[in-house]
Amino acid sequence: MSDAVRRASMGAPSWFGTARVLWRLAWARTRSPGVIVALAAVLALPVIFALAFVSAGGDIAADDAMHFLLQRYGSLVSGLATPIIALLLGTSAFSAESEDGTLLYLLTSTTPRWWIVTARVLFAGTVTALLSSVIVLATGWIVLGPVDSDGVVRAFTVAICVGSAVYAALFTLLALGTRRALMVGLLYVIVWEGALSSTFAALRYLSVRQWIATVAGSLTDTTVAPADGGVPLGFVFPAALIVLVATVVTGARLLDRPRLSRVGG
Amino acid sequence: MSSAGAVPLVFEGVSHWYGEVMAVNDVSAVVEPGITGLLGPNGAGKSTLLQLAAGVQIPSSGSVKVFGESPVGRPSVFARLGFVPEREALPTTLSARVFVEARAMLLGMHDVRGAAAAALAAVELDDVADRQVEGFSKGMRQRVKLAAAMVHAPDMLLLDEPFNGLDPRQRAHMMRLLEVRAAAGTAILLSSHLLEEIEGVASRMLVMVAGRLAASGDHRTLRRLMTDRPHTVRVRASDPRALASALVALPDVIGVEVQGTQLLVRTSDQALFARQLVRAAQACNVTLHAVQPADESLEHVFAYLVNR
Repeated sequence: MSDAVRRASMGAPSWFGTARVLWRLAWARTRSPGVIVALAAVLALPVIFALAFVSAGGDIAADDAMHFLLQRYGSLVSGLATPIIALLLGTSAFSAESEDGTLLYLLTSTTPRWWIVTARVLFAGTVTALLSSVIVLATGWIVLGPVDSDGVVRAFTVAICVGSAVYAALFTLLALGTRRALMVGLLYVIVWEGALSSTFAALRYLSVRQWIATVAGSLTDTTVAPADGGVPLGFVFPAALIVLVATVVTGARLLDRPRLSRVGG
Repeated sequence: MSSAGAVPLVFEGVSHWYGEVMAVNDVSAVVEPGITGLLGPNGAGKSTLLQLAAGVQIPSSGSVKVFGESPVGRPSVFARLGFVPEREALPTTLSARVFVEARAMLLGMHDVRGAAAAALAAVELDDVADRQVEGFSKGMRQRVKLAAAMVHAPDMLLLDEPFNGLDPRQRAHMMRLLEVRAAAGTAILLSSHLLEEIEGVASRMLVMVAGRLAASGDHRTLRRLMTDRPHTVRVRASDPRALASALVALPDVIGVEVQGTQLLVRTSDQALFARQLVRAAQACNVTLHAVQPADESLEHVFAYLVNR
């Protein structure tokens, strides 16, 4: 193929084609043993809790079961398991690529940088949503059995997917912004989502965990939000949208001046 | 829009700081089609300069123009530009073919498979293209990187230490490959810390030392600059003091320093001095035990170019 012919065969990068490449490269980083073991542990934790609850013996009242499930969904799943899955998936690719310099092979291409970020958020968000849904469905099935009469399991499945997208966006951005994304992300999950946002009512608006509860609450008649009121649904969707758009815009700007480890001359 | 006739690469008073460290200091240079060598010791700022050219570093001051446009925040420039980073890392679980195809896809090529196959054949990796990169030698990795950078036959190639880790045969092959590309009109800027490595292939050279552009020109000019300079010669002799007083009188000797049993002699013409030294030693009956150049390392040569 001559140079002229090859050049003539270039055009705007295909959206789907480039996304597939970016997902493939992300998947290559995600399937490292460390990430797989951590994901398996996070997936197993809520299921073990649920199994422990039902195997405690004796008759479990329906109310007790529902109360237990809502508590696990509200904290263990949406405040710990899902964000940690999103953290692992959102940071594994960009962090490793920044660290070893292979990020340059993505940046020295004609693919728009906002699309590189979007494709990676899509990857992390989708996989997080899938894995989190599995947790919600599995724990729901273990605790309530096959019948979800109040629609709580269904409501949380939808809500956890929304939350997965937001968490994935936040952590993808974190991987582009700092060398210590995993540590900063863990601190965020434990300190912000775990402690501060449930202690101070005003911070509830800035807690993804609370957003998940709001979305779930809007889809079922069962009271999901805490007694002192949750976050209004009218706030959650615009806020989630802003996080997603801001991630793409800021992420693209960060890719314009990537963190490159300095080696050699 | 970039104009087709614009100069491939222009640096205008470019400086770059990493915090307090100045990596590139007021560099102005033009890179034309053909092969330009970027020579300098480790830490001279070569990688930073190449990254500035690729737009992945932003100049602290001055401007970089690739085909007339700033490359910063402008991925479209990579339709005409290929960059080979210094670092060896590649996504190790992928095969060479999958990696080069991924690059072709990210560059918006229509015939991804065909372009990747052609690039891999050009670097003679076609027979191992389906093996995982993980098991590749350094030289093979360099060639995968080159295939990935030139999969779209760019008008300009930036190569950061492309000969690192190559054996002489691989090096000769890589040079031939670059010469073919240059003959086709590609502008190539390649860095190295060894003059010998690139003087055979680069028609023009830029020499960087401590962030500054210390010299530029064709390799003959640079060779001359590097050899026609004061040299320091270390001489061990039976009577260093007697020899020293004889040497001071010679016209090409700039200075003599006695250090125990040896002399450090600075001379403006090393070859002439060697002949005169023997005569001077014979004349004052001194036995020469050893004569050796004291400053032939590349660092000394570079230091000379900077302080010239």
